[in-house]
Amino acid sequence: MTLLLKAWGLYARLTARYPAIRSIVPFIPVVALWAAVAEAEVFPRAFFPGPLEVARSFVSLVYKGILPDYLEDSLLRLAVGTAAGMALGIPLGVLVGLNARARAMLWPVLLFFQAIGDIAWLPILLIWFGFSLTTMTFVIVYTVLFPVVLNTALGVRRVPVELHRAARSLGASHARVVWEVVLPGALPNIMTGLRNGLGYGWRALIAAEIIVGTSGIGFLMFDARRAGSVVEILLGMIVLGLLWYIVDSWVLAPIERATGQRWGLVTQ
Amino acid sequence: MKNLTLRELSKTYFDPYAGAHLTAVHDVSLTVQQGEFVSIVGPSGCGKTTLLNMIAGFIPVSGGEILLDGRAVKGPGPERGVVFQSFALFPWKTVLENVAFGPKMRGLPRPECESVAREYLALAGLAHAADRYPNELSGGMQQRVGVVRALANNPDVLLMDEPFASVDAQTRMTLQEELTRIWQERRPTIIFITHDVGEAVFLADRVVVLSKGRVLKELGVALPRPRAWDLVIEDSAYKAVSAEVLHLVRSA
Repeated sequence: MTLLLKAWGLYARLTARYPAIRSIVPFIPVVALWAAVAEAEVFPRAFFPGPLEVARSFVSLVYKGILPDYLEDSLLRLAVGTAAGMALGIPLGVLVGLNARARAMLWPVLLFFQAIGDIAWLPILLIWFGFSLTTMTFVIVYTVLFPVVLNTALGVRRVPVELHRAARSLGASHARVVWEVVLPGALPNIMTGLRNGLGYGWRALIAAEIIVGTSGIGFLMFDARRAGSVVEILLGMIVLGLLWYIVDSWVLAPIERATGQRWGLVTQ
Repeated sequence: MKNLTLRELSKTYFDPYAGAHLTAVHDVSLTVQQGEFVSIVGPSGCGKTTLLNMIAGFIPVSGGEILLDGRAVKGPGPERGVVFQSFALFPWKTVLENVAFGPKMRGLPRPECESVAREYLALAGLAHAADRYPNELSGGMQQRVGVVRALANNPDVLLMDEPFASVDAQTRMTLQEELTRIWQERRPTIIFITHDVGEAVFLADRVVVLSKGRVLKELGVALPRPRAWDLVIEDSAYKAVSAEVLHLVRSA
């Protein structure tokens, strides 16, 4: 027990000095298990390749420029779709959150369309827009929109009425109250909406790329299935997981630390 | 003179549970002179917060009118500053940005907003906390910020709604003494709502006792200023007025 505790203490000190270790070490047992199962040839090697084969395929696909190109395509689609989804979703969420009449009119409609789901739109989108960027962008915007709208509206309604009153009695117009009070007050919830929206959007994008498929990580994986290359399918899966981890820890978490957590609106 | 006049002010609510209209404030008439410090004291449910919310313009009046400098007030406005029981500081703004908020909304240029805010922070002994966020301060310090944020806007009337009710007893005494000091320095008109009889008498020139939405009695407080608790607590005039107000509040 004491030995384990000492080891954990050492690990804690190490990660405090080199935070990167914290994101690598937890994956060592996972990769080791994977390697062990692959080496033991529990399944035929072609169906269940080991980490080394996947790493080799990673190097070769990067070298050929396929992986960087596809990654760029996927990320660009996600970025454009997410930006558009937020640009639509945040104002709509503020409107629904602040205005009882807008809420009464829009809420049932929002719930209705939320239930239809992103992929369920693909059949009709393929007829309307074909196998195009428009189809994929629509799916992502649609997916991102609802978590952002619903969470923004929730956040807006959770801003205490005293803060509205304080701002008004200090001379703020209604428009300034929205900018100075409502939006920052709702920011933790908007971030939750963005986090959910990005997560769903990322999944929807992969699904759309598999079906619409001309390029992108989803296309890479589905194309690999056609060629029977399990290595590349596994590579695609790993890239998906890694990318999400990077977006979360390099983009979302720092924003949250600098805003809601700093302000004491959410507990660390 | 920018007097505040309440003329037969009343507020009626519809209570959906009782299925009837309830009168929270009933024909209250009151005149507050410029520079005067008035406490409104009463038991909970006497309508004192409703009264303040009407003067602040947060809720509409059901009858009567509120005149400031002879003109009827409508909705919230910067000429009536408010200090809240819950402090109501903006958590995403630093102490300095909170205090500079009013001047910023008035459209003052940025350096001027900042210098006004720093001046008022110094007045409350908060200069060192300018760059901190409200959640990093104690309750007493947060409410000091709340008071100077309202004052920095240079309002005609300062409306204070049980501002010291949620800080500890020692801090409350300090804040009360600081408030009387700041009031003597700047002479804003103050309407101070409280359920604490001692606080009402200690702070004000005049105490208005409110009961069941009506003015029960008005009493003048002729205590010398500056006021400090260690002296006031032994003062016979303080004791006499407090005893009378307490009697009125408890019999209400």
